[in-house]
Amino acid sequence: MRFRSERDSLVEALSVAGRAVTGRGGALPVLSGVRLEVAGEQLHAAGSDLDLSIQATVAVAGSGDGVVVVPARLVTDIVRSLPPGAVNVEAGDDEVGITSGRSHFSVRMLAAAEFPRVPAAAGDTALADAVTLDAAELADALRQVVRAASSDDARPILTGVLMAAEERGLRLVATDSYRLAVRDLPGTSVLREGQNVLVPSKALSELQRLLSGAEKVTLRLGEHDASFEVGDVRLTTRLIVGDFPNYRQLIPSSYPNRLVVGKAQLLEAVRRVKLLVRDATTPVRMALGPDTLGLTVVSAEVGQASEEVDARYEGAEMTVAFNPGYLIEGAEAISGDEIVLDTQDALRPAVIRGTDGDDYLYLLMPVRVS
Amino acid sequence: MVRRPETEPSILHVDMDSFYASVEVLHDPSLAGRPVIVGAAGYRGVVASCTYEARVFGIHSAMPSAEARRLCPEAVFVAPHPGRYAAYSRRLHAVLGDYTPLVEGIGLDEAFLDVAGARRLFGPASEIAVAIRRSIADELELECAVGVGTSKLVAKLASRQAKPRVTAGRLEPGPGVFVVEAGEELAFLHQHPVGALWGVGPATEQRLRRLGVVTVGDLAAVPRTTLVAALGTSLGAHLHELSWGRDRRGVEPDREAKSVGHEQTYPIDLAEGAELRREAVRLADAVAARLRLGGLAGRTVTVKVRFSDFVTITRSQTLPGPIDTALEVATVARSLLDDVDPTPGVRLLGISVSMLSAGAARQLSLDDALEGGGTGGARWSPAWDEAWRAVDELRRRFGQTIVRQGVDRDERPLPDP
Repeated sequence: MRFRSERDSLVEALSVAGRAVTGRGGALPVLSGVRLEVAGEQLHAAGSDLDLSIQATVAVAGSGDGVVVVPARLVTDIVRSLPPGAVNVEAGDDEVGITSGRSHFSVRMLAAAEFPRVPAAAGDTALADAVTLDAAELADALRQVVRAASSDDARPILTGVLMAAEERGLRLVATDSYRLAVRDLPGTSVLREGQNVLVPSKALSELQRLLSGAEKVTLRLGEHDASFEVGDVRLTTRLIVGDFPNYRQLIPSSYPNRLVVGKAQLLEAVRRVKLLVRDATTPVRMALGPDTLGLTVVSAEVGQASEEVDARYEGAEMTVAFNPGYLIEGAEAISGDEIVLDTQDALRPAVIRGTDGDDYLYLLMPVRVS
Repeated sequence: MVRRPETEPSILHVDMDSFYASVEVLHDPSLAGRPVIVGAAGYRGVVASCTYEARVFGIHSAMPSAEARRLCPEAVFVAPHPGRYAAYSRRLHAVLGDYTPLVEGIGLDEAFLDVAGARRLFGPASEIAVAIRRSIADELELECAVGVGTSKLVAKLASRQAKPRVTAGRLEPGPGVFVVEAGEELAFLHQHPVGALWGVGPATEQRLRRLGVVTVGDLAAVPRTTLVAALGTSLGAHLHELSWGRDRRGVEPDREAKSVGHEQTYPIDLAEGAELRREAVRLADAVAARLRLGGLAGRTVTVKVRFSDFVTITRSQTLPGPIDTALEVATVARSLLDDVDPTPGVRLLGISVSMLSAGAARQLSLDDALEGGGTGGARWSPAWDEAWRAVDELRRRFGQTIVRQGVDRDERPLPDP
């Protein structure tokens, strides 16, 4: 295997593929590596953690097909440090030579045969038909939903984002059991009617990075995997198996109390009073009353903060407490300038949404204070 | 839902009577009834503490020993034994801790307690004060005075009213407990001389006297600006606030009270896992009840196991959120005990909860909102709140044993010893 590439395009391909590399590789050392495959005038660089694979394809001057696996971080650092210009890469018996100008590195290879299988090209896949989506729209939806997914592996199902075919189109849902985000993409159909899949949120976070600046994303859903192609990069992820909680019954059909408040004002105020929070359990208390919203944080060993924000409120006067971090994430996810907070009482789910359109809602469980 | 305005007093000030001297009398019963002075008898010594029998002679603490001897030649001087006082102080705190975890010790022989949460279980603060006095008398054989008020300042002054006093060379017993009800603070406060306030030493007292201020009431009548001009911004403003009964300092639990625990030594070693687990349920119930008393919840559960050879191990687990129910504490404790082999014989078992947060705040989960509650029995649900409130109330009225934590059939709790 031998090729020549521009330094910058090689660094780009290595870093993108490296996003799927877990680091030390754990039980399987080869997973700390990036797989480089030269086929004609193309280089495919791939990283994988078994669940998630990212493959970047870049045009190179190839002069010998072949496959090697090299330590991802080391080789990326090496190539990045080289002077601008052409880089030559050539596989030896058990070392890979990297040469640029008067610099030369020899790096020991990892066992390519142990590297997990990576679908090489669009045709080579057991995945279903491709669907192309607007990249910006999907990125926006992911921004709103992925934040609500759990990062706790104890409940694997909650680490996924549900993609479900609804009457109106595609729906994305995520919950970590404290909050729940639902986003509809009307008119987008990716799945067969009634079909749904559970995509790991980690993969979708990586996808979000890839989507920035892109125009289109091509999505293929299979029985066990999903793949997303953005330009020359393909991200493949294993799907999570299991039943997503029945979230529909959590979303109340009506709310007795409605608060409407400026998004920027609310976010600013919550971020300020949150300065007093010293642990994960200190809530921000929201006193809901006519025309004002009172925010209070009481931190046992630190002190207390309070602030009033202008707001419109219809409903019973009451106080409800939330995790300020969750509240901020919910408010940030709203697209418009105003936020609607619908509440029932201090113990039941509240819902945050925008004032225009009903494509998004963020359901949030209160913090019970005694 | 910040602390509601005080409609009932909830701050207690417990002040031991002649603490060092009384401990010495317990240690040497032949001293009982005699004027006893703790302190160095020598030329330069001062009185650290003295019994009421000595006070009748006009002796008081901080008085030079030589003068005390002159006033009462037959007084018995005892050299101080700090170790004894510390031991009694620990026992005092153990008694106080049975009423609330919110105990702030001042020196060895005084403490403030916040019983706002404990009132639900033990009744009004005045009843708690009486019960604490009785417990201290029963368990330590020592007397104390308890002041009850809506603030630390008032409680501290109230405990002074509860003390025995010496008038005209005669000892008159005090009421033991003195309660200043909400709304009566100012009348109570204003009759005191200004020297009773924190921050008023002899020098300040002199300066205030020049302003015509003798009592706290006089002080309250002086405009704030005048006080600030006379005493400086900080002290002037501080005294003005105090004179109007505004003392916002809360009871700060002692550093050691960063956990709430309960342990038991068994007359016969436990040697079976089932025994350990059922005892864990009982201890967890006691710990959880005390957590709720203090309005606390904690995230870390620790079990302590002492084997018959006195080797002691602890195991702990930290949870994502704070807990305050027996079910939750017991579930964690039992899973920790699953990894402990009891066959060498367990003589002591303890459970404690730490990483406490004041005013239990629990992030509710959507599982709570879903029909049918969450998974397993160890989850909180709104109904549990009601249930535990009812349990606390029943125990307050009918005693601790009226409701017990249930266990699996093969792990039935032992009858009370």
